[in-house]
Amino acid sequence: MEITREIFWNVGSGVRIPVYLLGLIVVIILIYGFIKHVRLWRIGKAENRIDKPFKRILSFLLFGLGHKRILKEPYPGIMHLFLFWGFLALFIGTVLIFFQEDFTKLFFNKIFIFGNFYLIFSFLLDLFGLLAIIGVLLALFRRYVLRPERLDNKFEDGLVLVSLLLILLTGFTNEGLRIASTSPEFERWSFLGWQFNKLFLAIGSSEGSFESLHLVSWWIHVILAFGFIGYISYSRLLHLISSPLNQFFRSFSPKGEVKPILDLENAETFGVGKFSEFTWKQLFDTDACTRCGRCQDNCPAYLSEKPLSPKKVIQDLKSHLVVQGKSLSQNKDAEDQTPPIPGNVITEDELWVCTTCGACQEVCPVFIEVVDKVVDLRRYLVLMESKFAPEVKLFFKNMETNYNPWTIGFATRGDWAKDLKVKIIAEDKNVDFLFWVGCAGSFDERNKKVSRTLVNLLEKASINFGILGTEEMCCGETLRRMGNEYLAQILMQQNIELFNKYGVKKIITYCPHCFNTFKNEYPQFGGNYEVFHHTEFLWDLIEKGKLKLTTSVEMSVVYHDSCYLGRYNNIYDAPRKLLESVEDTRLSEMERKKDRSFCCGAGGGRMWMEETLGKRINQMRVVQAVETNASVLATACPYCLTMLEDGIKEKEMEQMISALDVAELLEKAL
Amino acid sequence: MNIVVCMKQVPDTETKIKINPEGRGIVTEGIKYVMNPYDEYAVEEALKLKEKFGGTVTIVCMGPSRATEAIRTALAMGADDAIHLNDPAFEGSDSVTTAKILAKAIRDLKYDLILAGKQAVDFDCSQVFACLAEILDLPYASVVTGLEVEEDQKSATVKRETEGGIQEIIEINLPAVIAAQKGLNEPRYASLPGIMKAKKKPIKEMNLAALGMDANEVGEEGSKLKTMNYSLPPERKAGKKIEGEPKEIVAQLVTLLHVEAKLV
Repeated sequence: MEITREIFWNVGSGVRIPVYLLGLIVVIILIYGFIKHVRLWRIGKAENRIDKPFKRILSFLLFGLGHKRILKEPYPGIMHLFLFWGFLALFIGTVLIFFQEDFTKLFFNKIFIFGNFYLIFSFLLDLFGLLAIIGVLLALFRRYVLRPERLDNKFEDGLVLVSLLLILLTGFTNEGLRIASTSPEFERWSFLGWQFNKLFLAIGSSEGSFESLHLVSWWIHVILAFGFIGYISYSRLLHLISSPLNQFFRSFSPKGEVKPILDLENAETFGVGKFSEFTWKQLFDTDACTRCGRCQDNCPAYLSEKPLSPKKVIQDLKSHLVVQGKSLSQNKDAEDQTPPIPGNVITEDELWVCTTCGACQEVCPVFIEVVDKVVDLRRYLVLMESKFAPEVKLFFKNMETNYNPWTIGFATRGDWAKDLKVKIIAEDKNVDFLFWVGCAGSFDERNKKVSRTLVNLLEKASINFGILGTEEMCCGETLRRMGNEYLAQILMQQNIELFNKYGVKKIITYCPHCFNTFKNEYPQFGGNYEVFHHTEFLWDLIEKGKLKLTTSVEMSVVYHDSCYLGRYNNIYDAPRKLLESVEDTRLSEMERKKDRSFCCGAGGGRMWMEETLGKRINQMRVVQAVETNASVLATACPYCLTMLEDGIKEKEMEQMISALDVAELLEKAL
Repeated sequence: MNIVVCMKQVPDTETKIKINPEGRGIVTEGIKYVMNPYDEYAVEEALKLKEKFGGTVTIVCMGPSRATEAIRTALAMGADDAIHLNDPAFEGSDSVTTAKILAKAIRDLKYDLILAGKQAVDFDCSQVFACLAEILDLPYASVVTGLEVEEDQKSATVKRETEGGIQEIIEINLPAVIAAQKGLNEPRYASLPGIMKAKKKPIKEMNLAALGMDANEVGEEGSKLKTMNYSLPPERKAGKKIEGEPKEIVAQLVTLLHVEAKLV
């Protein structure tokens, strides 16, 4: 007996025509629905997301087929991996059969699924089928028994999972019944089908009952499978197409970069008030979202009980885009007649409580971008409508008049260094590095101490550096993230002119926010510099032996990753190595660390806004730090230092822990 | 309703004032100039009235060329046009003379209301608008925290702060001069389209000749108030912190109040 199986056994090859007709209808339904989505994406503006094709394909392979990000969480990761690969393998298997039956066999009378290949083929399909069943069961258990908070259950979720299970089970009953009727020994290789076969044989049957049962099971299987395909464009199943595409279309810009508004002088509107002001990719994002909720689980605003969930933002945009798409097809001016998105679809509170920490995007398995949308919507509120809290207005006014947020006259910016022998570049251009102090390091009492520490360390290492003193202006970072692109660009351009005037090439910054802006955003305006954050720079000095630590400091330290240093610029090791290089200093870690770090609460302009909603983020972070039993909470960012120090005071935990900059610890070890 | 808003550009409130070596003025280097904060309330109130009744808002500002920056800010907020009274001869004018110059410019305008800040935070004289009202023979209300214009636009109800935290509510006939106090409203922040539009709005420059005045009527020469010299107020001494047990602290405090402060 030849080792293969008869395709269309029992149902007869006469079903071909109706099955393929059904298939054709299903594909038309799929395409029809998909085109509707394409129309919605096309409402957006142009944006090039097909450059760097190889990197894009790699991204798809690694994060799509490879599940790299999905697997970071074991349970849902493995669940999805099984489902994905299980169904992909079954799909490939079905395509191979289709190819044999309707191409090689039909035209050349050749079959290739036979013999040993047939056995391996059968074994693998049963194996992947089993994995898929496990995947579905894990998903059902998680969604309806474990019920994690981040999952919102809709009818379609259950419908999809139950039909997947039925498709898989009917697949195996088909196989089992066929084996039970035809009973070839070699079908033991179809190990799961074999078990079904044994089950049916055990139950026993009257004449022809396996055949009729098979017929029923077969048709259920076919109709469900086709129904599933047709349903893709009309449900969350769209992510089968849109999510891998989103991994392909992902951003390869620096993570910390906010795109500029070009041509401020001639533009008529600023930021995003309606869907046509988003780019197509920003709209595409909303269809790539599977509502998995990883973003929500990592959002400091959500976790501190503020009215923001990145998932909800994306979902709200999606559902309104659908409504808007309908009215746009009837009336071209529909968009101008609907109220703007910020303040209506997405509330002002949602937009303003975002710390732009980027945790949501870092965990998103399909690379949905959230911060860019928040900034674009804030831009509309700020630049078009001047809608923001009074303290935000004060912030803008301070920036306008004194180029810093502290309500202190700009002329005193260099005063912190008056009694130090620091070169002022206006007086002596002959320096190798510009030490960019930043607003916090220049005006805030606590952070001025860190600036002085840095001066001391740089001098100890004989670095030839200078500061700009009075001429320094805010780098523009916070303004940008608060949506005031206009003022931000003015300051950025003025700083670039200043750097050009003094021939600045290498910059050392105290603040990660300044660091990120110089490194990732100044190039947008032609400012290209070699930028070092102080932790990187100091580590380099220690490695090269230019800075020697001679004193041991007995201390247990926990390091808090700044979002703008860590997540946005991948600097996780330098500060840790610095701390470890101090003799007798023990470094411990919080659970939320490195790329999963928990924001101090100050990013995105939150430093300058009242925190009236929910719990205080800085206090939550301080509690996380105290739980490690460390006595020092080390930071590398002035915003973090301020927030965490305040958090310690507010929680009255001064006896347990104190906050220091990494550089300050290093100074103790000199 | 046509409204004239008088506005002045002043050093930013965070500026550390330094006297120039001659003792005849302040060091202008390192000063950032802004719209007088009280004038922001006046501009905002004018814009709100314009939104309600229609009409125009005209800024009248006396100051050197740098004052155009503050004028543009007011235009960006939404004012329609501006008159910039700019002549080196105006420099050194006292409050009365300033009022005379402003009156010359305003007299020929069509207005239903004149708004201004209650005082400019540079010299803090708080006199110009009382003088202006007198010259134009208009009623005057200052330190205004509430303004309700009647539907017929012929009169208004005004809330003003008086000594001892007492609020005075008065009725005033229009046109009138109203000087704004903090609390009258929350001044808006100019939108970017507003800022861009402001760049194209007309600013009419007027000098001495255009006002039809003589040099001896204005500036120091035309002023009765003569500035002899400038000096900074004496620096405040550092406070004293008394430490110790409550009993000792009280004893020390009483001694200090008696011997040093001579209060008890």
